[in-house]
Amino acid sequence: MDGNVIKARNLHYTYADGTQALKGVNIDIKKGKTTSILGGNGAGKSTLFLTFNGIHKPSSGEILYNGKPLEYTRDGLKELRSKVGIVFQDPDNQLFSASVYQDISFGPMNMKLPKDEVRRRVDLAMERTGVAHLKNKPTHCLSHGQKKRVALAGVLVMKPEVLVLDEPTAGLDPMGVSEIMVLLRDVQEELGLTIVIATHDIDLVPLYCDYVYVMDQGSILLGGTPKEIFSRPEMLRDVHLRLPRVGHLMEILKENDDFEFEETAVTISQARRELKKWRDMVTQSLR
Amino acid sequence: MYKLIFAIITLGVGLWANSVVTSLLIIVIMSWYTVRKGGIPLTIFIRLMMLPMAFLVIGVLIIGINVSEDINIFLAYIPVFGTHIGVSLSGLQHGIIIFFKSLAAVSCLYFLALNTPMVDILNTLARLKIPKLFIELMGLIYRFIFVLLETVDTMFTAQKSRMGYASFSSGYRSLAALAATLFVRSYKRAGDLYTALEARGYEEEINVLAEPFETGKTQYTGPIFINILLVLITLLFKT
Ligand SMILES: Nc1ncnc2c1ncn2[C@@H]1O[C@H](COP(=O)(O)OP(=O)(O)O)[C@@H](O)[C@H]1O
Ligand SMILES: [Mg+2]
Repeated sequence: MDGNVIKARNLHYTYADGTQALKGVNIDIKKGKTTSILGGNGAGKSTLFLTFNGIHKPSSGEILYNGKPLEYTRDGLKELRSKVGIVFQDPDNQLFSASVYQDISFGPMNMKLPKDEVRRRVDLAMERTGVAHLKNKPTHCLSHGQKKRVALAGVLVMKPEVLVLDEPTAGLDPMGVSEIMVLLRDVQEELGLTIVIATHDIDLVPLYCDYVYVMDQGSILLGGTPKEIFSRPEMLRDVHLRLPRVGHLMEILKENDDFEFEETAVTISQARRELKKWRDMVTQSLR
Repeated sequence: MYKLIFAIITLGVGLWANSVVTSLLIIVIMSWYTVRKGGIPLTIFIRLMMLPMAFLVIGVLIIGINVSEDINIFLAYIPVFGTHIGVSLSGLQHGIIIFFKSLAAVSCLYFLALNTPMVDILNTLARLKIPKLFIELMGLIYRFIFVLLETVDTMFTAQKSRMGYASFSSGYRSLAALAATLFVRSYKRAGDLYTALEARGYEEEINVLAEPFETGKTQYTGPIFINILLVLITLLFKT
């Protein structure tokens, strides 16, 4: 064991219509950390996620879960899917039931848990995601943000080890985005979850993620900590991504306006630290 | 559960009353409950009510139109082969009563179908040993009617804002395109739904847990009170 829950080696996947969605993906997901897959539309993020829980079987390459290759048998898949939970991008595709309560109970019922246990878990999951007051509402009356939370509750209730979220912040307002990200961080701390997030929201990455992989056209271009990734802005621009706004500002200050920074800063707090250091340096040299 | 009883009693009263006033009252009460309490958007509710309306108008026309040799009973008529076809007062009255009675009945059923207890209805059906597959299908259809309506709504608005319905011929084309796209989208959605269900361990059967029932006597007082009122109003207008 090397601390990676999921390892993918040279993964290929081709859709029935001939679209090569994955072309040799290598990726390590560290246990208990938050990893984000950063990539534009059509990069292959959703496809990759569906290989993680065995919905798509790769045409070549292999996936290891806790060091063991995936088993594509009925029991193997069942076991895998109770450990790797996916929250899909469009909650309307995930919420199938007329009532919030029923929808959340779907996963644990499939795990054949006793009813009392299911009830306990559903209540807890609703509590955690802040949807307890929606329990008797019909699903179609919920707002987009509420639907996303219910979808999340429907996966958390299965107590997965790995929580995979496909664009969890897409379509949410700024408040909704930070609320859901903070919620995820709290849940992670509480349960020791491994979290994988697909996103093209670059500003989120330095704030909430421990590792980043940059994906484009079905392959992984680079991976590392946010700091490592964002110190190579050329690479990002090649694949239609950019630096976080703050990082961009700091880059311009450094290159065009003769500021000197010791480290690359991509979040507001990092930038503040660097700018203060620079100010102290300047006042000192003036004295 | 009390909503099921409310709907059925009110339906019964509406059918028994045979009066336009009662029917109108029932329509208003049921619409109010469905829109305010059930949270169904008014536009969607109205659109749903329009659906049976189309059939009813045709039905009422058929009832309202009589054939008779005596032209005195007609409000308006055309002579055909020595006899007369026209609209008579009694036929029209009859038709109108039936029209509103049917709408009232439909509003009761919509009230039932559109409020939360769809879940309860499904549970009740399950207890009545209706085949599981049938109940699952009903549940899915119920859920996706709303998704579908939303999709239609956005696409329709998008088409309108690009002048898709400016003329009759372009409207015809737009509608065809909308129907075709809707079909393709629904197909894709069904696929996505299946994937999502599979990810949560779906195998052949949709197992969910119903929320615990809460029943109290107070729940029944409202519906019963309203229906007694309806009966009294009917009697008042009859005399
Ligand atoms: N069901 C499908 N059938 C055929 N091609 C698909 C299907 N789903 C996705 N693709 C294609 O696979 C590629 C990767 O898509 P996807 O994994 O959805 O990317 P992302 O989630 O990063 O936006 C795209 O070129 C897309 O058109
Ligand atoms: Mg995607």
